[in-house]
Amino acid sequence: MTRRTVAISLKIPDNAAFTALTALRRIGLELGDVDRREIWQLEDAGAPETLIARVSANPAMFNPNKHRIVALEHQQPQAGETWVSQAGQHDEVREHLGGTGIDGILRATRAVGWRLRDRHGDPVERATLVAAVESLLCNSAVELARYEGDPPA
Amino acid sequence: MRSIAVLVFPGTNSEEETLRLLRDCGGDAELVHWSRAKMLGGFDAYVLPGGFAYEDRIRAGAVAAHDEAMDAVVAAAHSGKLVLGICNGAQILLEAGLVPGTGEGRGPTAAFTNNAPVPHFVCRHVYLRLAVAPDRCAITASLPAAALIPAYAAHGEGRLAASNEHLDEIVRGDHIAFVYANAAGETAESASPNGSALGCAGLVNVEGNVLAIMPHPERDGWNFNHLDRCEGDDVLAPSGGAALFRSFVAAVNA
Repeated sequence: MTRRTVAISLKIPDNAAFTALTALRRIGLELGDVDRREIWQLEDAGAPETLIARVSANPAMFNPNKHRIVALEHQQPQAGETWVSQAGQHDEVREHLGGTGIDGILRATRAVGWRLRDRHGDPVERATLVAAVESLLCNSAVELARYEGDPPA
Repeated sequence: MRSIAVLVFPGTNSEEETLRLLRDCGGDAELVHWSRAKMLGGFDAYVLPGGFAYEDRIRAGAVAAHDEAMDAVVAAAHSGKLVLGICNGAQILLEAGLVPGTGEGRGPTAAFTNNAPVPHFVCRHVYLRLAVAPDRCAITASLPAAALIPAYAAHGEGRLAASNEHLDEIVRGDHIAFVYANAAGETAESASPNGSALGCAGLVNVEGNVLAIMPHPERDGWNFNHLDRCEGDDVLAPSGGAALFRSFVAAVNA
C-alpha cells in the first residue's frame, strides 16, 4: 500500500477562491491571487498508472464537466501553499464518499489546498501565508493547517 | 423605542421570519443589508439570522465574520449593545470571536462544526433549556430559570467543538447559555441533534450581551407553526420560541 496524492480543482471560475481573495485583502493582506483545490491523500493498493482513472470514476469526487485532476509528485504543500484539513483522524471514503468507494483505495483524507500568490504571481512569503491561515483559512479549534516542510500527516 | 437591525448577508435566508417575530414581540426592527454597513452603527441592537452567509465559503460564518458589516456589530458588542445570532448568525458570532469571547482579536477560539456522529444536515424539533442564571445574559434576563424554549435545529454544522482546555474554560466562565433538552426539560444524549460538546445549544460572551444559539426559535414562535398548536387566541404561542424574542426585545428597551 502506498500513499498517493491527487489534487482536484475547478476548471470553471472558483467563486469561493475569489471570495477568499477579497476577504483576505480586506483583512489587509497584499495578495495577487488565491487558488483552491481539493487535496486527496490516498492509501492505495492499486496500480499507480490507473490512479487518475480510478479516482475520476467516482462521481462523488470528480465531475469531468467542471473538475480537473492531477497526481501530485509531492506529498506536502509547496511554497505559498497550505493544506487545511479537519483535525483528528478521518476516513473520507467512509465519511464523505459513503458507499461509493474507489477500487484499490483503502483510506482517504481530504484537505483544502490554498495557494496564495503575490502581485507578481510568485508564492507569498511564509509570514503572509501564516497570517492568511490564522485570520481566515483555518479555524485551529477544529482544523489543522500544514505548510511546506511540515512532516507528513 | 430602541431600534433593532436584522442583518442580512448574501445567503441569509431566515431574515423575514426573524423580523416578523421581533415585530410581533414588540420590537422596532428592520432589515439591514450588508451593503448598508455604514448605517449599522445607528442601531441599538442586532440580530444575525440563519442561512448560509457567503454560501458558507471557507467555513460557515468565516467570510461574514470579516465583512464590513461585522465591523459595526463587533464595535457595538464591545460597547455593550445586545447582539443575538441564530444558527448561521451564531456561527458568524463565533467566527468573529464574539462568543465565547475569551480570545484575543477577531478570531474563533471554538467552532460550531460538522454534526456528529453522522456529519449530515439535520432538521428536527428540539428544546433549548436555559443553563445559566437568567440574568447572566441580558437577552435571557426576562426568562424564568431553566426556561424551556422550543425551536427547530436546521444545520449541518452545529456541534460545539474546542480543545478540552478551552471547553473547561467555557464551563468555568458560565458561557453555556443553553443546552439541548427533551420536552420534559431533561438533558439526554438523544435530545441533541448534533453531538455538541457539553450538550451546548447556545453560548454567551463574558459580558453577557452577546448570545449565539444554533436552533431557530422563530420557527416555533407563532401558533400556526408551534409544535403543540393553538394555545389560546394570541397569534404567538405562549410556550413557543417567542419567549426568547420577547425577552430580547424587553432587554433592548430596558
